[in-house]
Amino acid sequence: MRGARVYLLLAGAAFRAEFQYRGNLFINIIGGLFYQGVGLAFIWAVLDRFGQVGGWGLAEIAFLYGIRLTAHGLWLLPGHQLIHVDEVVIEGDYDRYLVRPVPPLVQLLTRRVRLSSLGDLAGGVVLLSIASASAPVDWSPGAVCFLLLAVVGGALVEGSLQLAASALVFRMKRVSPIKFAIDMIFSDFGNYPLKIFGPVAGFGLTFVFPLAFVAYLPATVLMERGEELAVPEWLAWGAPAIGVVLMYAAYRFWERQSRHYESSGH
Amino acid sequence: MPVIEVADLVKEFSRPTRQEGRFAGLRTLLTREQTVKRAVDGVNFTVQQGEMVGYLGPNGAGKSTTIKMLTGILVPTSGTVTVAGATPWRDRSRNARRIGVVFGQRSQLWWDLPLRDSLWLISRLYDVPEARFRERQRQFSEVLGLGPFLDTPVRQLSLGQRMRGDLAAAMLYDPDILYLDEPTVGLDVIAKERIRTFVGELNRASGTTVVLTTHDLDDVEELCGRIILIDHGKVAYDGAVDELKARYAPHRELVVQTDRLESVEGAEVVRREDGKVWLRFDPVRTPPAELVAAVLERHRVTDLSIVEPELESVIHRIYADRG
Ligand SMILES: Nc1ncnc2c1ncn2[C@@H]1O[C@H](COP(=O)(O)OP(=O)(O)O)[C@@H](O)[C@H]1O
Ligand SMILES: [Mg+2]
Repeated sequence: MRGARVYLLLAGAAFRAEFQYRGNLFINIIGGLFYQGVGLAFIWAVLDRFGQVGGWGLAEIAFLYGIRLTAHGLWLLPGHQLIHVDEVVIEGDYDRYLVRPVPPLVQLLTRRVRLSSLGDLAGGVVLLSIASASAPVDWSPGAVCFLLLAVVGGALVEGSLQLAASALVFRMKRVSPIKFAIDMIFSDFGNYPLKIFGPVAGFGLTFVFPLAFVAYLPATVLMERGEELAVPEWLAWGAPAIGVVLMYAAYRFWERQSRHYESSGH
Repeated sequence: MPVIEVADLVKEFSRPTRQEGRFAGLRTLLTREQTVKRAVDGVNFTVQQGEMVGYLGPNGAGKSTTIKMLTGILVPTSGTVTVAGATPWRDRSRNARRIGVVFGQRSQLWWDLPLRDSLWLISRLYDVPEARFRERQRQFSEVLGLGPFLDTPVRQLSLGQRMRGDLAAAMLYDPDILYLDEPTVGLDVIAKERIRTFVGELNRASGTTVVLTTHDLDDVEELCGRIILIDHGKVAYDGAVDELKARYAPHRELVVQTDRLESVEGAEVVRREDGKVWLRFDPVRTPPAELVAAVLERHRVTDLSIVEPELESVIHRIYADRG
């Protein structure tokens, strides 16, 4: 497949460039792990104080957190360069992506590697493995499969929101505050059972800002707590498919918006 | 057969109108008024296969904006661009394989990697067969002298070296069309000459169509038979360099080193200095041979030459006439 080959080729080039001039793998991974560890320690402290949140104990919440974090790391690994979309577009570096026989987005995403995103992913995988063992889930092969699909779907949901927000750059020039806000919502609301925020926020975070599909819905049905959901269970089982649909829509949106690219004045 | 067809091409950029007075910055941010700048304003031309065209104009005339539409980087506000039968911005991937692009101000190479790696990566992206790649790299190393810095990271190259690297990268996959935006800007005389020689040779040997923007008239004089002169986004002249001179500067000057010369029939004395006299004449009314004969007949001449008008002064005249 040409697409995959080109992606690996460009990602490999970014990797070589990184090693020629910048930091070392180990430090970067530790950095990522540390950052996520702080978030987990916070939840730990909360649970230690209150025992349960919304009827979920430590094992349940750690499982939810593990899915969220793994999905986040899985998105960040290929997607981290979207953080720099403002500068790439304002300074006109996007020009050169438009005259190569490779989709411009692929070139943008492979302009650099950021090794700390490996730390995010590693942190997520470690946490999810441990939490899966103690979470009240009946680990049939089907359940394992669904978990893997849910993680990929979660990565696609987060990625699709970031990509759609990034696409606004072609008209608005500066979108990093919007993307930062999205990231905040994910890390502030994404790691808890959504029902604790009440029905209005629950609806908003499912149908307006589809955060629930990343971890809350799949974790809930895997733990067979489907009856506490405000949405039908089949919707929760469909979370991975929602990720695919959203990412497809976001990519189309990106392509349309990129026609408004203005380059820079020189 | 035309390879590039440009019809009624327009590009506008809009910006929020800058507000004056109190809280100007904030009001500029909030305003819905837009200031529209027409960078390219109804441009028409066609370029034939194998032509070398100089796209010429002062800073801000709209040269780069035109090139960006020709290459598919910008989508036109209105009008059409057709390159080898396709619309560049719609059919990006196909277009990319047919064109080479070099921007003088911005490298297309991988900044942190050795030049050699950039060339290899490009050969992979364009599916250049391994053997062909090696042959091209050897050729370019020879004509562009890449050898000494093939293994240097691009960020450490001098501007001239980087430009040569960029040219090699743009031609590696044998595109039919080469776009150069200010390829010699900031280079010293030798580096400029090297690049001109390479581009000229490319056009002669492979029939590559070249569109070159510049404000360096030597680029055009040396390379391009045809120039398109652009001013405020509009085409001011499109045609052969010779015709441009003939139309806007029909005169030649005969410079004579002589003892004493008051006047000659058919020419006008325009300057005297250091024992030299400049005689301006119209070669259509006064054939140069006759003028020279007439001068030699009556004066003792130690040296003599005919001076062509310089393109630069011709172009100044055109811009001056247009106001
Ligand atoms: N991305 C842009 N946004 C706003 N204005 C631009 C942009 N690019 C070019 N312009 C304006 O359009 C005009 C033409 O620019 P350009 O095509 O770069 O000129 P040239 O290459 O002939 O120097 C200039 O007035 C320039 O300021
Ligand atoms: Mg320019």
